Amino acid sequence: MNLSLMSLEIAVVALGLLVLLADLWLPVERKRMLGYAAAAVLAVLFLNSFTSHCSCAAIGESAFGGMFVQDGLSVFFKRLFLLAGALVLMLTVEFSDRVAAGIAEYYSLIIFALAGMLFAASSNDFAMLFVSIELITITFYVLTSFTRGKVAALEAGVKYLILGALSSAFMIYGIALVWGTTGKFNFNELAMVAGNFAGNKLFLFGVLFILVGLGFKIAAFPFQIWTPDVYQGAPTPTTAFLAIGSKAAGFVLLVRFLFSAIPEVTAQWANLLIVISAVTILYGNLCAIPQRNLKRLLGYSSIAHAGYLLLGVAALAGAIANGQSPTANAGAAAVLYYLAGYLFTTVAAFAVIVLVMRHLDSEDVSGLAGLHQRSPLLAATLTLAMVSLAGIPPLAGFFGKFLLLKAVIEQGAANPGFYCLAFTALVGVVISFYYYFGVIRAIYWSKDAAESSPIPLSWPMKLSVAACVTGMFYLGLFPGAVVNAAAQATRVLLH
Amino acid sequence: MKVEALTWLVLFLPLLAAGIITLFTLRNKAVSATLSIGAIVTGFVLTLAVIKFGGWDARELSVNWLSIGSLNVDFGLKLDALSLMMLLIVTGVGSAIHIYSYGYMRDDPGFSRFFACMSLFTFSMLGIVLANNFLQMFIFWELVGVSSYLLIGFWFEKPSAADAAKKAFITNRLGDLGFILGILIIFTALGSLNFTVLESGNSIAALGGMATLGGLLVFCGAIGKSAQFPLHVWLPDAMEGPTPVSALIHAATMVAAGVYMLCRVFFIFTPDALTVISWIGGITALLAALIAVQQNDIKRILAYSTLSQLGYMVMGVGLTAPEAGMFHLTTHAFFKALLFLGAGSVIIALHHEQDIWKMGGLRKKMPVTFWTFMVGTLALAGVWPLSGFFSKDAILAAAHENNLLLFILGVAVAALTTFYMFRLVFVAFLGDRRTGVAPVSDSKEAAQAGDESMRQARRLSYEPHESPGVVIWPLRILAVASVVGGVIGIEALFGGMFKPDAAHPHGLLAQLVYPFQHAPVAALSGLAAFAVGLFAAWKLYANAKTDPLPDKLGALSRAMANRFYFDEIYEATVIRIHDAIAAIADWIDRWIIEGFCIGLVRGGTDLTGRALRLVQTGNLQTYAFLFVLGVAVVLWFVLGK
Repeated sequence: MNLSLMSLEIAVVALGLLVLLADLWLPVERKRMLGYAAAAVLAVLFLNSFTSHCSCAAIGESAFGGMFVQDGLSVFFKRLFLLAGALVLMLTVEFSDRVAAGIAEYYSLIIFALAGMLFAASSNDFAMLFVSIELITITFYVLTSFTRGKVAALEAGVKYLILGALSSAFMIYGIALVWGTTGKFNFNELAMVAGNFAGNKLFLFGVLFILVGLGFKIAAFPFQIWTPDVYQGAPTPTTAFLAIGSKAAGFVLLVRFLFSAIPEVTAQWANLLIVISAVTILYGNLCAIPQRNLKRLLGYSSIAHAGYLLLGVAALAGAIANGQSPTANAGAAAVLYYLAGYLFTTVAAFAVIVLVMRHLDSEDVSGLAGLHQRSPLLAATLTLAMVSLAGIPPLAGFFGKFLLLKAVIEQGAANPGFYCLAFTALVGVVISFYYYFGVIRAIYWSKDAAESSPIPLSWPMKLSVAACVTGMFYLGLFPGAVVNAAAQATRVLLH
Repeated sequence: MKVEALTWLVLFLPLLAAGIITLFTLRNKAVSATLSIGAIVTGFVLTLAVIKFGGWDARELSVNWLSIGSLNVDFGLKLDALSLMMLLIVTGVGSAIHIYSYGYMRDDPGFSRFFACMSLFTFSMLGIVLANNFLQMFIFWELVGVSSYLLIGFWFEKPSAADAAKKAFITNRLGDLGFILGILIIFTALGSLNFTVLESGNSIAALGGMATLGGLLVFCGAIGKSAQFPLHVWLPDAMEGPTPVSALIHAATMVAAGVYMLCRVFFIFTPDALTVISWIGGITALLAALIAVQQNDIKRILAYSTLSQLGYMVMGVGLTAPEAGMFHLTTHAFFKALLFLGAGSVIIALHHEQDIWKMGGLRKKMPVTFWTFMVGTLALAGVWPLSGFFSKDAILAAAHENNLLLFILGVAVAALTTFYMFRLVFVAFLGDRRTGVAPVSDSKEAAQAGDESMRQARRLSYEPHESPGVVIWPLRILAVASVVGGVIGIEALFGGMFKPDAAHPHGLLAQLVYPFQHAPVAALSGLAAFAVGLFAAWKLYANAKTDPLPDKLGALSRAMANRFYFDEIYEATVIRIHDAIAAIADWIDRWIIEGFCIGLVRGGTDLTGRALRLVQTGNLQTYAFLFVLGVAVVLWFVLGK
């Protein structure tokens, strides 16, 4: 037992409970301000994670008999989640006028989902993995249909619930199979014996089923089918958190499972990862083309980005298959860097959607018409977000794609499939320009603006928008610090 | 922290100001102006501090911008006498112009945008000055191009301004193409772009046969930016921008960038390249001076005068006297900025009248403007002991030593300079007020005169009066700089950098008499040229009602007034050919690339996207089925084979 190692998680859970308690006493008109307070606490926790007081400083320790580990990887992701949580809470405050009742519950659910993500970052054991995933997913079922007056939200919630349950079923079945064949629950212990089971069909069956569950979380093909409907129907802050937090949690679990639990098996499966990554990129980008609904478009775009992120995972698998080299973790480091850039970009995009689409029933792209006159700041922010998602310098998205592609191409010499993958990814990027720039065109060059009133912006919102824009530029212009941190964090994946 | 670190602030403060103004304070005029002026004045003070506490010694600051694998990109600043002096000019003269703009642009609806552009320009210009490598210099070089485009086309609703901005930008791009090619040649041969590395690496020998070509290609950049023949055509048109812009960009800073760049990389030029450079400079100086003689727009006269003086500077560099070129650049920045701002003061007083033949008698109405303008004129004409005398003399002395033909040409240009400047002074400031009789010499303006008769009548009903303090104080400051600029040690500073072995005058008295001891022929010829020019101008233009020259010179005068038909020649040749190529390229792009290649790919992609959309039915049972199907496919992929 080493409870102090979990002090960050405990603090976040306590914050969630406090928000619930505060809901009982606060007058109605003050309740929405709770979001700011919670966001501020998370921001403090984020900053604190860089000091030696935080449990994040205890790198290399573990608790609960190795179920919960604290290493560079977990700390990197925890900081990412805390930042994402704080930004999404700020966004939620702006959204609160569209939640009929129980805004404090909405806040606390976000915080509980965040706690699940923090646990996921440290999971080193199947039990921990499953519990943290369920903590995230079950809170998201509620978050998705929180605006229960809306049929679309209810429908999204039900779809997410049923398909989520399906994927959980696969996953728990897979865990049972792996445990049944190997008798190991802990990743480190599993890693020692996994090589012996690399030819055991029952074991591989189980591993694949676990991957199905994780593939569902990150919305990789062919488990992406829920994404557009849920992204579109869910309340926008939920969508934002789903796109950043839930996806990143899926990636940290995926990376840890693939590379610390079953590295020998993963090395054999580089081709599977290549195919999944390539198809996911193409599927997401092609389907986004005809979309007119902005949230649905971003849903497809998030599928495509899952594909880009899988580039790095595939590159690492290839690197391990080729034998280790000191820079073998470049692919995984690129994934971490990309997620950091994706965080700022996505929050920026969803923040603009929340503010602009406030009085509209649907999030149609045409609602952006005249935005550059209604609010130049928001127009510029959304433009930058789209430019960064498309991967154009000097923004974060460009450098992230550059690092991912570089990692993939480096593996091409040993396995030509990686060259094909890099080519496919580039094709995907080109296709994506079409719909990202469609959004920018709608902002600046639409003729008939239905609305022309200026959009009021609260100062916390300006702050978070500014933070996102700064983040995009900082990561794009001065990638050094974060790239180094990501490389440091992913070193644990190499044995 | 060392004092040099302040230079980072000098560089980035204007960018910060430009960013804040653009993003937040466009609606608040006072805050925008304060930010912009504050940034540049702070820059000036910080530069002084750096020089005071850090001295003029050469040193470099650089940070690793990004480092990916073996690729390292540095962002660095080079500080030495050359860049620090230039820093002083840009921030110092720039400060005066920024403050002046506050008065000049007061009623303009685009006030904040103007200051944002000015700050962006200042940032880019400082970037050129401080760059420690070719690549960085080129990036800022292009940024200067962009920001000058924005400023020249500031009144973009006027077609002439929009055209002038385009012309300036495109003409500059022509020179920049040569510049980047030159940079590439140097990088291929030497493997580095850092100035210090290049200078210590004996680059001419390393370049071998490519040395002259590389040097001349780099010089192309200067031809564009410093408006040398044959790319000089953009500068006079650029006078469509607001007058402070003309003063900032087209007198003190941007056009000086070319000369500055030549001096910065002086070590890469071979003797052959330098000969070409000196002749290009000489030709520009002469042509522009001749054209200036027959212009009637006050700003255009000054524009051609700027061209002519830039020709002097380039000629100086070509005559292996970069210190003389830089010296003249410095003094020219003072007095030409002064002249432009003085012209601006006249233009506002006359409600945007720019034709000198509609002015006259301004001396009494606007005494401060007149006297400061007079100081600028005398400095430009090279009267001892004003600053222009010393710097022009340095160039003439270099010409006298190296190339007699260019020396004669230089003296002739000096005489012409005095002549056209005093023509301007006699017509615009002295004599009586005119009643607005348009001269017939300039056919374009004569044609416009009819349309303008209404506005003209309104203009003439106003009584001109002296401009407010915010306008005339910068004039006074610049006038002082123009007077003393020649004897405050600038020459010794540059001389010490480029020719550390030669003797340079120190002390006030020594500097005052230095030209007469060092190169008496050049000094006396310069003064004689002034006397000739002044006498001719007095004879022809004192109390003249119309311009007597067209009758006396006939066709030559018409050619001068029409700028030797350069624009027309370019129109008929370069632009025609260019249009034809563009039309062909457009056809290929439209039908073959866009229609056939892209159309096919795009249509295919679009269709696939639409088809895939059908998968997304929204039906939960279908989704669950597809999900399980996906699992089955993955299982088959991995285990089935």
